[in-house]
Amino acid sequence: MIWSIAWKNVWRNKKRSLVVITAVTLGIISGVLLVGIMEGWVRQRLHAAISNEVSHIQIHHKEFIKNEEIDLTLRNLGEITRDMDSLKEVSAWVKRTKIVAMANTPWANAGVIIYGVDAEKERLVTEIYKGIVPNGGRYLDEQSHGDILISDKTAEILKLKQYIVTDSAIEKLKGEKVPPAVLARLDKLKDKRFRSPGDFREALQQEFSRKELNKYGLLITDKALDYRIRNKVQITISDQEGTPIQGIFRVCGIYKTTNTGFDQASVFVNAGELASLYGGSEILTHEIAILLHNMDDVGPVREKLSRISGDNSVRTWKELAPDAAMMNDFMIMYYFIFIGIIMLALAFGIINTMLMAILERTKELGMLMAIGMNRSRIFKMIMLETVFLTGVGAVAGMLLGWTFAEVLGKTGIHFTGWGEGFEAIGFAAKVYPEVTPGFFMFITIMVIVTAIISSVWPARKALKLIPVEALRTE
Amino acid sequence: MKVLELKNVNKIYNSDEVKVHAVNDVTLDFAEAEFAAIVGPSGSGKTTLLNLIGGLDMPTSGEIIITGTNLSKLKSSQLIDFRLNNIGFVFQSYNLIPVLTAKENVEFIMTLQKWPQKERDERTFELLNAVGLGDRIDSRPSKLSGGQQQRVAVARALASRPKFVLADEPTANLDSKAATTLLEIMEKLNHEEKITFIFSTHDPRVVKMAHRVITLEDGKVVSDVKLE
Repeated sequence: MIWSIAWKNVWRNKKRSLVVITAVTLGIISGVLLVGIMEGWVRQRLHAAISNEVSHIQIHHKEFIKNEEIDLTLRNLGEITRDMDSLKEVSAWVKRTKIVAMANTPWANAGVIIYGVDAEKERLVTEIYKGIVPNGGRYLDEQSHGDILISDKTAEILKLKQYIVTDSAIEKLKGEKVPPAVLARLDKLKDKRFRSPGDFREALQQEFSRKELNKYGLLITDKALDYRIRNKVQITISDQEGTPIQGIFRVCGIYKTTNTGFDQASVFVNAGELASLYGGSEILTHEIAILLHNMDDVGPVREKLSRISGDNSVRTWKELAPDAAMMNDFMIMYYFIFIGIIMLALAFGIINTMLMAILERTKELGMLMAIGMNRSRIFKMIMLETVFLTGVGAVAGMLLGWTFAEVLGKTGIHFTGWGEGFEAIGFAAKVYPEVTPGFFMFITIMVIVTAIISSVWPARKALKLIPVEALRTE
Repeated sequence: MKVLELKNVNKIYNSDEVKVHAVNDVTLDFAEAEFAAIVGPSGSGKTTLLNLIGGLDMPTSGEIIITGTNLSKLKSSQLIDFRLNNIGFVFQSYNLIPVLTAKENVEFIMTLQKWPQKERDERTFELLNAVGLGDRIDSRPSKLSGGQQQRVAVARALASRPKFVLADEPTANLDSKAATTLLEIMEKLNHEEKITFIFSTHDPRVVKMAHRVITLEDGKVVSDVKLE
């Protein structure tokens, strides 16, 4: 009966209750979306870190971590690779040559790390092959010779990324329903070559208004983008004696991950061809990257690998990508911060509404006490009323928030304008919000706790009423 | 059998150095199934006396004993439970729970007392039929007239078979017809249920139907007449 009274009391003043319910709903929706975006970012960062950058575990010569020198190759390689295949937890693993290098084109140069890889095996461990940009060529292929895979960022630095308004680009823009007036002005830039996004943006700014650029700028830039695939890149490394040596590779493809820092530093060639460049009799192995079936096995596998890899250093993704590890570990704290702030703000609204309700029902509460409703029942009734009031808003907020998060989780949210900034620190410019059942559990507990805490003050106020005085009020 | 005894009960209010002797040395007792009216002019102490009898207020001195239990010896939490199990209340302005139906209002106290559902239902229908509202069991108070609401309040007060029912000016807000109907119902239930009714009033219709009339003036009992 007390549950029923509490529920019915929520709807006595519909307008007032709906205001609070709406506030709670909006608060929860924003909480769900905020945490969903954060969770999406963290998971994408984690996925990117493991799938593209560091895998689950890496093994290096213990000195290589401090000083990436060509002769600091892995020790006991034969034993390690023999034992590796016996580990059931391991999904795939690769050996890599990793050398600090200088990449040059006739127009620019960049410091990079050149990875000598087995392209086929690499596909099993990393997802960089999935990141080949549109019109960006192809991934490394063992059958082709002299290929180098570089990133979009490296292409930009080496001036291998250019913008040309070609007839084909204009045709594509027509297909995208860009107005003829805009296309006519674009004609002035036709066949001019711009070697950086900045130069092309400046040229567009001179021809178009800000409004037009906001509307069509990205589309024009996208269609005018052209990579100089098959262009030559000169790579300079130091051999084991420290003598600089050069080799020429041709760009076979352009990749892009969500981490500009990684992209800028990493170029890939076939390991055998890199070995030809440094002139060794065998392929040097500086790094073994290991992907596990289950991320939770990282600890035990590391232990096993440490035992078999002798002097080498075995590190997990948490040590190799501490930023991602930290964000992953702190996710629960973000939950507390975001939802805690929202709940704190809502608590004041809830308390205010409940105090008003108590004030309005002074006489009724006096009557309930007079006829024998004891303190614990009064407290329970007010607490339940607060929980119901908050709960209705919370359920609505969770349902709507979940729906929005599901939709946005499929379409993604593109942070146009801030994308470069996000990617510079390793976060995707397009985030896919993700909300876990655990978060909904968390939010449910937080809502109940907030409602109970918010009910204490109004309930105490009610309990302080003296029945005989309360009955006299009008 | 005595259900209620008041021994030299005094209630003095002290405010701004002014002493108000609201109830002055009242000694009374009430037997089972009495139908008693406490009358007197406004400010004579009727409501204060009723509040003291109902355990809603504590006397400054004296004793109130209900079926052997001295109210002043009970802690506040015990007093609430005592009221729940022993006293029925009917208020001047009905004071039903507005979100509950007539049936739910009547069974509310029985629910607090944890009566089984079947017994609650039987007692509720019995009482609502007795007060002539058997066809309005699902109506909320806002859909009932003042007289009907007060009849529901009487049914609620009697629901858990209390030792006695206290009614503070029960007919004050009712028209003549509704008041007469209510009084007839109260008298009938008093007779059938053998439950003591004590009501404060200055309504002559109530006084006329009472079996005992206690007159208060300035907090003192000035007459106590039993009418048969």
